[in-house]
Amino acid sequence: MWQKSLNHQSLSEEEEKNALRKAPSLRFRFILAGVLVIGIIAGLAINLIFDYSQKLADLSYDRLLRSALLQMDENVGLMRNEVSIDIPWSAFATLAQAEEDRVFYKVESIEQGFITGYQDLDSVPPKPPQLDQIQFYNQKYSGEMVRFAWIERHLTDPETAQTVRIVLGQTRLSREEMASAVTQKAVEVVVFIALVAITLIIIGSHLVLRPLHRIERALEERIMGDLTPIDINTPKETHHLKVAINHFMARLQKNLEQLENYTADAAHQLRTPLASLKALAENARDNTSADYGSPEKQREALNNIVKQCDTLSQTVTLLLNQAVVSHRLQTHRLEPIDLLEAIQASCREQAVTALHQGVRLSLDCELQDPLILGDSFSIQQMMQNLIENAVRYSGLGVEHATEVIVQLNEFDGFYRVKVIDYGSGIPDIEKERVFERFYRGRYDIAGSGVGLAMVKDIVDHHSARIQILDTEPKGTTFQVDFAKFTFGVNEA
Amino acid sequence: MRRFLVWGSVALIAFLSVATGKLWATEPVWFGNVSASRVLYINSAMDLASFEPILTEFVALHPDVRVAYRDVNTLELYYQTIKEQNKPQASLVVSSAMDLHLKLVNDGYAQTYQSSLTDRLPANFKWRNQLFAFSLEPIVMLVNKKAFPGALPDDRQSLLQTIRQNEKEMTKRIGTYDIRKSGVGYLLASQDARQADVTWGRLLEAFGSHDVQTYCCTHEIIDDVASGKLVLGYNLLGSYASQRARDDDRLKMILPKDYTLMLMRVALIPKGAPNTEDAGVFLDFLLSDKAQKMMQTQGLLFPIRPDLNSQNDPYVVNAPGPTGVIELDQQLLVGRDYAKQKRFIRNWEMALEISEEE
Repeated sequence: MWQKSLNHQSLSEEEEKNALRKAPSLRFRFILAGVLVIGIIAGLAINLIFDYSQKLADLSYDRLLRSALLQMDENVGLMRNEVSIDIPWSAFATLAQAEEDRVFYKVESIEQGFITGYQDLDSVPPKPPQLDQIQFYNQKYSGEMVRFAWIERHLTDPETAQTVRIVLGQTRLSREEMASAVTQKAVEVVVFIALVAITLIIIGSHLVLRPLHRIERALEERIMGDLTPIDINTPKETHHLKVAINHFMARLQKNLEQLENYTADAAHQLRTPLASLKALAENARDNTSADYGSPEKQREALNNIVKQCDTLSQTVTLLLNQAVVSHRLQTHRLEPIDLLEAIQASCREQAVTALHQGVRLSLDCELQDPLILGDSFSIQQMMQNLIENAVRYSGLGVEHATEVIVQLNEFDGFYRVKVIDYGSGIPDIEKERVFERFYRGRYDIAGSGVGLAMVKDIVDHHSARIQILDTEPKGTTFQVDFAKFTFGVNEA
Repeated sequence: MRRFLVWGSVALIAFLSVATGKLWATEPVWFGNVSASRVLYINSAMDLASFEPILTEFVALHPDVRVAYRDVNTLELYYQTIKEQNKPQASLVVSSAMDLHLKLVNDGYAQTYQSSLTDRLPANFKWRNQLFAFSLEPIVMLVNKKAFPGALPDDRQSLLQTIRQNEKEMTKRIGTYDIRKSGVGYLLASQDARQADVTWGRLLEAFGSHDVQTYCCTHEIIDDVASGKLVLGYNLLGSYASQRARDDDRLKMILPKDYTLMLMRVALIPKGAPNTEDAGVFLDFLLSDKAQKMMQTQGLLFPIRPDLNSQNDPYVVNAPGPTGVIELDQQLLVGRDYAKQKRFIRNWEMALEISEEE
């Protein structure tokens, strides 16, 4: 069997490589997800930086503009009822800090009109003007985008009152330069951080997956048939995987043990009838005395041999059924089945055999669709064994019992199956042992000693409960309780 | 009404210029081969004497270029450049009125030019890569040694003192720019007012009470100082004054000790100008080692490149006091502010007792 699996491996090495190439890589997914997330974050950050650097540049240079505007504003006065302005040199020295930026301005009063500056500069602030409130805004002038500062205020003296408006603008060259310098630096930092993060993810993915490789190596390095639990230290995150593997190996171990048991069973089962068959055949061959040499005796000896062959055949069938049942139990999922149907099928099958042995088999049930979660074939096997057993025990004892009753009743939450015989019964001391493999209560009855063990296996697998009770006045009752299947409950 | 005043003053200045017979009408002086394939038009407010050797050298180096050189007053240059904004005649405009040239650039009349030579120019000698300085010269006083009464002044204070002490000799014998007619004259006066407001006020008062003579151009003042008609010329361009003082024993150039203004000569290429390629080549030539050295060694101009100045050279500016370099930046716009300019000229006229209609 191991050899076979090795062959399988070597045969498909090429295929395996192909499959490996096509298989999704955990590490690749991990890195890809990381890179995507970092990329998105970096993108957002850069977007924010673009916005922020613009604001920062405007903030800094707006201060210059404000200062220049206020210096101009301070030098506005009324002279002989006329607004006059003497722009201080320092105002424009302030603006000259933005070295390459052109400057435009206009001073006007609502009453007097244009006073000085650029007469065609008609700049309107975006918000409704408020006295003494400086407004900053961008507007195109002289073929370039210009940042304007705008202020309006009252000038009063005893004889006149005027509203003066000063607009001072500066092109955006220095601002753009500063913004792009800030952006460039920040983008460099963001890109650097993103690259470092990606590198860490790549290294991290390697580190994270290392325990998996360790488990993999630990398994690879094992000798054949070593199914002991993995005993290496792994991080918490891989603990469950380790436990699962160990669990899986334990199941494998159990299966292997079962297989060994089964093989032993089979050998045991077949040895006795074969030995007895051999003895019968030898008898028939060796007994040449007149007594036994008669054709009648020979015929009787041959009959015995045939009978023994039947028993052997039965045993082989039973073993085969057991093998099928145990395979089914391991591979098939339980599903909702009609318990009655399975019981009826078994009864039908067994009725004739029972009659041959002088036993009448009856089924007592009035239920409709008793559903349980189970495997129909296994249930049938279970019933067959129980009925066979009952029929067999009916033939024992002083009086030959003539009846075996199968009952199916409904209780709160479960169905109870009873197989009742009126045979000799089982002493209490043996009741505990009948489910042991190869335990045979009475060696004078034919039987494999496997049947009830299989029944127990099936019952256990269905999470059911089996009990052996005494029948009144005599005999044995096997009682099995199956939980009811209700939709939505057992499934969960 | 205000608008009318603005254009009115422009018209007035234009009228004054026409009256002096020098507006737009000047015929260009030609340099280079007549058969040259390309023509470079230069409008310049610079005496040809200072520029001729440089132009001659340029056409020698570039035989396929012919230079048409037109000498124009600084103020006229400004208005002409604006007037021709849609179809400029000049490929290059050269002026000593830094403020007007800067205003032209600020108002969008110039185009950008960049070369390895302009890149080498320090940032304070250019603006926006549209305005380039190629010469930095002192603003000086020029005296007629023989005619000057008393000791020669070494600063503005001593000049004031001399005027007060020699009222008769000084009356009508001081010459300076008419700031209404000369762009550079206005610039220098406004810078004087900025540098030392009180001194400027006293000087103006003294000039007014002694019938100062006003001129349009430096060389006319120098001529009159040399002939003895004037004893002193105030605020003259150092390059012209030094040329004349070197050849003429009667003249002495004085760099005022209290402060010496330093003026740049600047050039720009008008937006949409013809043959901008050769304008760039010529600009590069002006900034080249060769031209800068020529200015230095032949005493044409004071070069802008400080690395070419050597202490032994007689034409290196050795100002006895602090120098006030007129900065080539947005501050120049303040001097040309409409309201300020109007007020400044009116004050000047009042001080000098010159009527507006003159």
